[in-house]
Amino acid sequence: MNAPTGGPPPIEVRGLRKVFRQTTSGQSVVAIDRLDLTIAPREVVAIVGQTGCGKSTFFDLMIGLEAPSEGTLRIGDKSPYEHFDHFRGRIATVFQQDRLLPWRSALDNAKLPLELIGLPEAEQRERAMAWLKRLGLGSFTNAFPHELSGGMRQRVAIARAFSVQPDILLADEAFGHLDEVTAAELRETFLALARECGSTAILITHQLEEAIGVGDRIVVFGKSAKLLADIHVAHWPKSKYKVLREAIQSTLQSNTPDSRLLLAKKSRAAPNGRRAAKAR
Amino acid sequence: MSIEEHREPVPDFGFPRQAFVSLLVFAVFWETLSQLSSYLGIPPFAVPSFVRIAKSLADITPIDIVVTLARVIGALIASFVLGASLAMAMYRSDSLDKYLHPMIRILMAVPVVSWILFAVLWFPGVEFRICFVLVVVCGPVFLVDMLDAMRSVPKELRTMMQSFRPTTPQYFIKLMLPAIVPTIFTSLKVNISLAIRVVTIAELVGAVTGIGHQLSAAEELFSVSDVFAWTLVLVVLLFMLEAVVARVEARMLRWRT
Repeated sequence: MNAPTGGPPPIEVRGLRKVFRQTTSGQSVVAIDRLDLTIAPREVVAIVGQTGCGKSTFFDLMIGLEAPSEGTLRIGDKSPYEHFDHFRGRIATVFQQDRLLPWRSALDNAKLPLELIGLPEAEQRERAMAWLKRLGLGSFTNAFPHELSGGMRQRVAIARAFSVQPDILLADEAFGHLDEVTAAELRETFLALARECGSTAILITHQLEEAIGVGDRIVVFGKSAKLLADIHVAHWPKSKYKVLREAIQSTLQSNTPDSRLLLAKKSRAAPNGRRAAKAR
Repeated sequence: MSIEEHREPVPDFGFPRQAFVSLLVFAVFWETLSQLSSYLGIPPFAVPSFVRIAKSLADITPIDIVVTLARVIGALIASFVLGASLAMAMYRSDSLDKYLHPMIRILMAVPVVSWILFAVLWFPGVEFRICFVLVVVCGPVFLVDMLDAMRSVPKELRTMMQSFRPTTPQYFIKLMLPAIVPTIFTSLKVNISLAIRVVTIAELVGAVTGIGHQLSAAEELFSVSDVFAWTLVLVVLLFMLEAVVARVEARMLRWRT
């Protein structure tokens, strides 16, 4: 595997607003309302929120498939929508369903992004094969998606995303549809690989447990992607996860930001956390 | 579990027994009618015996088969290229689709005979006339089927592909075309049958070679056996083309099995 060069740029979201007009009623729906967020390079961020809170819209804006209605979303100094081609091979995605092309073998699916960036065929095969082997699919490179189990297909999708060694990795409910054991295993693999590649990873989920288990940082979206909480998990000892979970659940239910759970207040965020303990 | 689910699968021997029986019954009926034609007051040339038909088959000129086959294949390729190009352009541009769609529907409603008459009146060259008629009949079938198929490609796959930022040619080559291959084969099978029938009619008008021309010559000579023989050739040709397409289809779509 090639070592990452340079490193991913930071992600800056300022006053981001996305409004959709409903085709049937003609009414406007505010999916994201003035979101401010900064994601540092190589951070693993879990975005959690209830269904319809704007998580998937944020995902589409991050990919660059949608344009913001107002505000800015910049990766480094470029917008993923306006500079769409610039991010070819720099942003990769893993979706809820594997979304493999059914007519392509596992190997051909894994090398799809490499084909798009125009690598030589031999290098494409070599890199895709290496990633499939890393994900335990070395014996299934010629299998078609319908010949693989759900977990194996999702591994191919992960290999496809990592094959370009992207700066930014986006995962939208990528493990939610799998059984608990497979999901936990894949989650760990995904995180280990993201850290190894030095990619910034943004995982979107509606499962609080998954968010706590995955992210270095948990961002909680309320209605219209209102920032309810922004937490560094490392500041919370495992013994306090129950308190953290309850606090997030409470803020989700009330749709009101909790000052204890906002990153700016991190010194007060976890009074019984590691830092607080050290200070004491 | 229902009774149907317990039913043993019937082995497929390639040529079903029922088809063989029905063909045999038809052959016996035809031969009997031929032998009894003088007693039944039917002119002898109207129902020729199989011996006479076999003689006509022996006199078949392969060059006419080759010419007709070349016209069909050439026109199918031209129709596919034209249909696919327009389908892709219409998929990309809603306004182009809005302008062209009604025209295509009108073209598809025009009878083949009208196209042949237009071709005779507009174009002096026989080959161009035949090609024009075939393309104007088969092209819209490819176009409409491919356009519908492109629009039916699941949104999930389209979003996935777009998230990896392909160029427009890559988007079509790596996603759209492979995704619509099953539809292309279905459309091709429909068009082969259509082209075989249309080319025969088009060759009746002005062509000096081809199966249609030979059918026209047989009609002038009141030779039912020749008409029967050439018709048999057309049917066999159609089956052979369909068999070739089915083989290629099975190979290309092996990912579905």
